[in-house]
Amino acid sequence: MSDQAQLILWLIPGAPLLAAGIIALLGKLFLGERSHVPCVAALAIAFGCSLVLLTKIVPTTFVSGLTSEAKVEADKQISFQPTDEQVITPQRGAIAKGYTFLDIGTMQVRVDLRADAIAAIMLAMVTGVSLLVAIFASGYMHGDPGYPRFFAAVSLFVFSMCMLVLSGNYIQLFAFWEAVGLCSYLLIGFWFKKPAAAAAAKKAFVVNRIGDFGLITGVFLIWKTFGSVDFQRVLFNPELIQKINEQHPGTIPTICLLLFIGAMGKSAQFPLHVWLPDAMEGPTPVSALIHAATMVTAGVYLVARSTPLFMMAPNVQLFVAGIGATTALISALIALTQYDLKRVMAYSTVSQLGFMFMALGAAAAGPKFANFAIMAAMFHLFTHAYFKALLFLASGSVMHSMGDVIDMRRFSGLRHVLPITHWTFLCGALALAGFPLLAGFWSKDDILAALAEGMHSSHGQFFTVIFAVAVLTALLTAFYTFRAYFMTFWGPEKFPEEAGHHPHDAPPAMAWPLRILAIFAIGVGFVGPLHLFSGYFEHTPGLPAAQEHGFHLGLMILSAFIALGGMAVAYKWYIKSPEIPAKLESGLRPLYALSQGKFFFDEIFTAIVVAPIRLIATICALFDKYILDGVVDSFGALPGFLSQAPRRLHGGLTPAYAATMLIAAIGCVVCVMQLFAGQ
Amino acid sequence: MNGSIQPTLLVSAALFALGAIGFLTRRNLISVILSAEMMLHGVALAMVTFGKMHGNNEGQIFTIFILTVAACEAGLALALILSLYHRTKSLDMDLWSALREDDMPSPVGHDSSAGATQPDTHPVQPTLTPAGLPIDPKTPLTPQRPNREETATHV
Amino acid sequence: MNWIQHNWALLLPLVLGACGVWLMMPGARSIRPLGGLACLGALVLGFQLVAGSRDVSGSMFLVFASATLISAVLMITSRNPVYAALWFAVVTLGVCGLFLLQSAPFLAAATIIVYAGAIIVTFLFVIMLAQQAGTSSYDTSSRQPFCASVTAFTLLGLLLITFQSAAAQQTVDGARATEVAAANKALDVQMKVETLDIHKSSRPLPSEELGQMRGLGRSLFTDYLFAVEIGGTLLLIASIGAIALAPRRAQGTL
Repeated sequence: MSDQAQLILWLIPGAPLLAAGIIALLGKLFLGERSHVPCVAALAIAFGCSLVLLTKIVPTTFVSGLTSEAKVEADKQISFQPTDEQVITPQRGAIAKGYTFLDIGTMQVRVDLRADAIAAIMLAMVTGVSLLVAIFASGYMHGDPGYPRFFAAVSLFVFSMCMLVLSGNYIQLFAFWEAVGLCSYLLIGFWFKKPAAAAAAKKAFVVNRIGDFGLITGVFLIWKTFGSVDFQRVLFNPELIQKINEQHPGTIPTICLLLFIGAMGKSAQFPLHVWLPDAMEGPTPVSALIHAATMVTAGVYLVARSTPLFMMAPNVQLFVAGIGATTALISALIALTQYDLKRVMAYSTVSQLGFMFMALGAAAAGPKFANFAIMAAMFHLFTHAYFKALLFLASGSVMHSMGDVIDMRRFSGLRHVLPITHWTFLCGALALAGFPLLAGFWSKDDILAALAEGMHSSHGQFFTVIFAVAVLTALLTAFYTFRAYFMTFWGPEKFPEEAGHHPHDAPPAMAWPLRILAIFAIGVGFVGPLHLFSGYFEHTPGLPAAQEHGFHLGLMILSAFIALGGMAVAYKWYIKSPEIPAKLESGLRPLYALSQGKFFFDEIFTAIVVAPIRLIATICALFDKYILDGVVDSFGALPGFLSQAPRRLHGGLTPAYAATMLIAAIGCVVCVMQLFAGQ
Repeated sequence: MNGSIQPTLLVSAALFALGAIGFLTRRNLISVILSAEMMLHGVALAMVTFGKMHGNNEGQIFTIFILTVAACEAGLALALILSLYHRTKSLDMDLWSALREDDMPSPVGHDSSAGATQPDTHPVQPTLTPAGLPIDPKTPLTPQRPNREETATHV
Repeated sequence: MNWIQHNWALLLPLVLGACGVWLMMPGARSIRPLGGLACLGALVLGFQLVAGSRDVSGSMFLVFASATLISAVLMITSRNPVYAALWFAVVTLGVCGLFLLQSAPFLAAATIIVYAGAIIVTFLFVIMLAQQAGTSSYDTSSRQPFCASVTAFTLLGLLLITFQSAAAQQTVDGARATEVAAANKALDVQMKVETLDIHKSSRPLPSEELGQMRGLGRSLFTDYLFAVEIGGTLLLIASIGAIALAPRRAQGTL
């Protein structure tokens, strides 16, 4: 590890942190409308450093030309070394030494930056997207009174996210897991004077607590089981894992389940998905950055990172796949009928995250397929970040020009008025729908391939169902994406009155990020078929050895047909014969209402969780008011009661006090006499 | 009767006791203060006697300090008495029992307040004249913010 | 009862004095001549109590002590505050006489100057300023005279008993100390020197130096310098306070 590499590693989280500090301290007073400058500069630095890390540092630390057996040998050598910083071999990735953060008994937690292939990919994606979003936001948020606050929080978020990705142990990961949650809370509630935003921020925070509880419990269990929380010791030590799994068969599945509960909270998986659609109350750049591209994928990252543990718990992996499929299907169904453009995107995000978890669960098919399945999940995460950020930013651009109106029924035919927004949105929508040769096509195809491979394993029937759900969800995705597209950009030109007379397209600060992201949405998928992604990704330590896998031409044709079919149906229903949706709505009223009402999850949770807790809280409040306060008040009343008698002595007449003093003096004299008498 | 009392100590103790009686029973503020002074005399006499018994000057030095404090006390007490008298036009101590609890009855009989005015409900607190400012005979004792409208009506 | 029989010489003047003062107090039950007689009796009996002491032998002590106590009783029982102030002056003079007998000539002079010269005059001024014509109701009645007399004379009795037992103790201690000193003379020399070095001003003085201005002044401005400074500051603050407290009059009027 050269000093230069250390510096680059530290710059990635350090620059955003410095920017956050500068903006937070000086923003209000000096920077004002220039508050985005430190943020954008820091993110550019971080992005540059991430690219250097991605292309230079991490690859040079890989052992080139090793066969998989030799790799296992290398793993063994590492695993039997003590977990001292000096002897961590550089082959597995880059580590920047930090400092010891906690030293309790046998537990030593360090703050280190640990970069390997998966982390480098994540970092490049996170910093790249956040750079573009920050530039976009400098135009989008212009004139907002909280402008400096926004950029301070965004910088802080990028710092926390980078630290999360660069964590070398579970405690650090948990700490920054919470930090990104905090930033998410701050940014969802950015317009905290709006009651809906404040409520949404609170909801996101509370729902995330449930997941975080699972995560921290899992981390405790890891510490108890492995005696360490260091990735190096816990994850990259196959023999230790094997031994523990033999001695305590139930422990590792429990750990995996708890970690997955954490991931469910952060990545909005059923049934903890309810916070994400509400989080759209935040500013749109925040939705694009945190609630589409980066933070919500932290759960996927966690599960992918913990693959060595999950490989020991195939049942948990099946559970992961099942939850992913449920989430994907339900949220796709909800997205079908929503009229709020951002909300459609939010449910789409939840659905795509479900896809990623399906792929992660497909690793249960067997060690042979695991590498491909996890690669597929991370690849989808990678491409999804670009096109979903693009879609959100384009929605934000629509909102910007429509005077913050987001209901699709109130505007239509915007393609002539907002040409840049229209074209970039179209790129994103095509990528999301899985139009052939665009980003989403390749990654979704990989996921379907991974699931198809699962069908040949011992869990074949299960994976057949999951595969069917995935195909159905892909069809629904293409449909609702283009439903939103057609409703927004086609049809007769119609503006809401809030937009004013001349809606204007995105200003340059917003247009250029859109264009760049559109190019990514079209082009970034080609790293998949060219084996660039998988070739890089398989260097990630701890993954099972990769297998050769060819093109699944049949699957590709299938998914292309699915995408085109969904788009065609959307075209047919919303452009050619717009009366069909209305007919369907009246024909299938209960189902329609179910979708429109978001499957009534909020109402169900209110009834079964919130109401009992409220009842308990009311009882506690009554207990507090009448019993606890009664006890405390009676202590307060006691002196008053006891003083009823002595207060009669308090007559206010000075000689009375003097008489008291005199009597006390007599008492003193008697005491002195007793002293003399005693001698 | 083993030993015999120092006779001067007997006088000092008797002075102290008589002063205490006066302090407790008299109602005239001036008599009360005089009684307190007499108690101080008793103490001073005891101090001097003790000094003589020990054969050194310490008792007398103590007495000098007692004298100092007594002088201060007398000055302040007289100023207070005058200020109280200013308020009620009476030297009766029983009129002053504002320290008692609000809901308690007055500690003295109703006859005592006959012929004397009750203290003001809004007493004028004593203040020092700010240095360098001449006392304007028109201004009231408490410094008040000049009221422009009032001045205008006077003019 | 046995104790009362044993100590009747102490108790009788106390009871007599309490009754006398009670009777002389202004009020409805006041019988001044009878009270005066009782007080005089108590005084005489009280002097009997200390008749054995060599200090009483001088007639000067008797004169000063009786003057002090008689005028003290008259002061606390007088119905007119002007008379009370004058009686207080006599008390002060008597106390000063006793100071002289206790080898405190400087203190006697200082007290006369401070009290008779300044304080009593101030009192008289205040009385003249504040006194209403004739005797007022609060001068002719007193608050709980019986209880106050009993309490105060109880205190006096207890003090006297304490003094008595202390004196008895001292006699015994003195005798024992002489024996011990005689026995350990060689050792004692060393001890004495150390003890005396503890505090210079506590050292017993030759009787001719006691109460002399030279010694007092040296002690005041060396050992008690800070106390003197603080006392001076206290006087200054008290005068400022008195000015602040005194009711103010419009300029030009008295």
